[in-house]
Amino acid sequence: MSITASVDGVGLGLRFAFLDEVIEAIDEGERLPGVAFFEVSPENHMRRGGHVPAAVERIAEHYRFLTHGLTLSVGGLDPFDRAYMAELRRFIERARAPFHSDHLCFSSAGGRMLHDLLPLPLSRASAIHVAARIREAQDLLGVPIAIENITRYFVPGERSMDEADYLTEVLERSGARLLLDVNNVWVNAANDGEDALSFLQRLPLDRVVQLHVAGHDRSEEHGLVIDTHGASTTETVLDLCAWVIARTGPLPVVLERDHRIPPLPELLIELARVEAAYARGLAAHALERGAPREVTHGS
Amino acid sequence: MAPDDAARFPALLDAVASLVRAPAVEARIAADAEAFFAEGGLSAADAASLAALGERRLLVYRKLVRRGLTAAIRLEIPRTAARLGGGFEAWVERFIDEEAPRSHYLRDVAFELVAWAAPRWAADALVPDHLGDLARHELTAFEVGSAEDGGGVTGIDLELDTRARFHASVRLARYEHAVHRLLADEGARDVPAREPTALLAYRDAEHEVRYLELTPLAAAILDRLLLGETLRSAVVGASSALRSALGPEVLAGTARLLDDLAQRGALLGGAP
Repeated sequence: MSITASVDGVGLGLRFAFLDEVIEAIDEGERLPGVAFFEVSPENHMRRGGHVPAAVERIAEHYRFLTHGLTLSVGGLDPFDRAYMAELRRFIERARAPFHSDHLCFSSAGGRMLHDLLPLPLSRASAIHVAARIREAQDLLGVPIAIENITRYFVPGERSMDEADYLTEVLERSGARLLLDVNNVWVNAANDGEDALSFLQRLPLDRVVQLHVAGHDRSEEHGLVIDTHGASTTETVLDLCAWVIARTGPLPVVLERDHRIPPLPELLIELARVEAAYARGLAAHALERGAPREVTHGS
Repeated sequence: MAPDDAARFPALLDAVASLVRAPAVEARIAADAEAFFAEGGLSAADAASLAALGERRLLVYRKLVRRGLTAAIRLEIPRTAARLGGGFEAWVERFIDEEAPRSHYLRDVAFELVAWAAPRWAADALVPDHLGDLARHELTAFEVGSAEDGGGVTGIDLELDTRARFHASVRLARYEHAVHRLLADEGARDVPAREPTALLAYRDAEHEVRYLELTPLAAAILDRLLLGETLRSAVVGASSALRSALGPEVLAGTARLLDDLAQRGALLGGAP
């Protein structure tokens, strides 16, 4: 059975900015249009009381949750913090998440947590290290782990592996699933002057259990496209999402927005665009499988 | 796998972390990027590969991390940050250079900064005397507002020989300045009185953070109760420490205080 059997469709990353609006809709007996589920970042909610967890618990009564971590530092050299891992495990259990995702990166070094997604070398040693850490994390958390491809603004050191091969090797060695962020794929390709679709074609799509879509910004300061999660998702990124769904079939797709968060109604309009792309992907997937297609007069 | 691949891995992670954390990286990279990486133990090939990226790209993570942390800290101590003015970012930079966060939780970073910076602010003539207190007061609000929920009312009377059970959000904050009376506006630059201050902060049923300004004796009693002393021990010990006569007025005042705290939901009763 697929580990995502109970969650698919289009969901939204739950943010403090619109927590109260979600609660208001629940109070009025409404479901937010197009929101099949929410994705929550445990680190924002663990070891916390008061208004936020109370609101999150109410939302959990009405929506399924996926959990998406921020500070596992799965590629790092610091040993896992056992207290953090135990707390994370409890959170994932309470959220009844079918798997837990975090990023293919490192965030801590020398006992210091830098709270960002720092790039890993593309080498076999790196893949072996990360795969072992993923297996260890899975044991500690008691759920399957999905690893997300990150936006990286450079690759440290000489590459001894191609990025798609590296990602594949990490997945194969660890048995992890892939949270495929198609915006990250696009941003990396744009910054490298390469083709995002060519990269996607080389990934083991059978291991994908979830997708992320988000917006990005071009930074004059850095001379790069930056994965800001601070703008609307582009049609190009949504096309990549549809392309993947056409090949994988139903999956949970999450719209992430972390900066310049618009009012919730505006975000839901953007979510409808994601849903349309998802529907395009599903339709293509059904065609690929030879499923009967609904016809209307004149079609 | 190349024989030196495993050895390269930690050195490369160190190099990336150094780009983010090491002091004055900008100047060192500008002067000789290859030398910077070679000093960090990278192979000549890896050092050259990184140096070839150019200064702008090498500094991307440094800028992203530092801006992200600065924004997260400012969110929790906005008034302190405003009073530091342009110096705020420099203090965050120094914190990252010399200490850096340890917690997995981004919301802890402001606490880590203040723990590190407050003694330095106190020793710095350019920083207002009350700033450490103001920062701690802002953090108290955040801490109380987001403290984990404990149990409910215990249903046990608080007798002289029982210990008290408080709501998990209750904190007793002590400051050297009356920073709680400062104007809340971030643009305000009023100066608080230098006046020993004790506040009991708690979160009410509507999740609002409330403060009670305490007399020295009330603060001393609550301090001891919060540390787990029995009511008798707390009242006797506090009165003795403050050289306050333990008479009927003190006992009646303590009873009124505890009753008030119970009404507010800050005191849950006697501990089981």
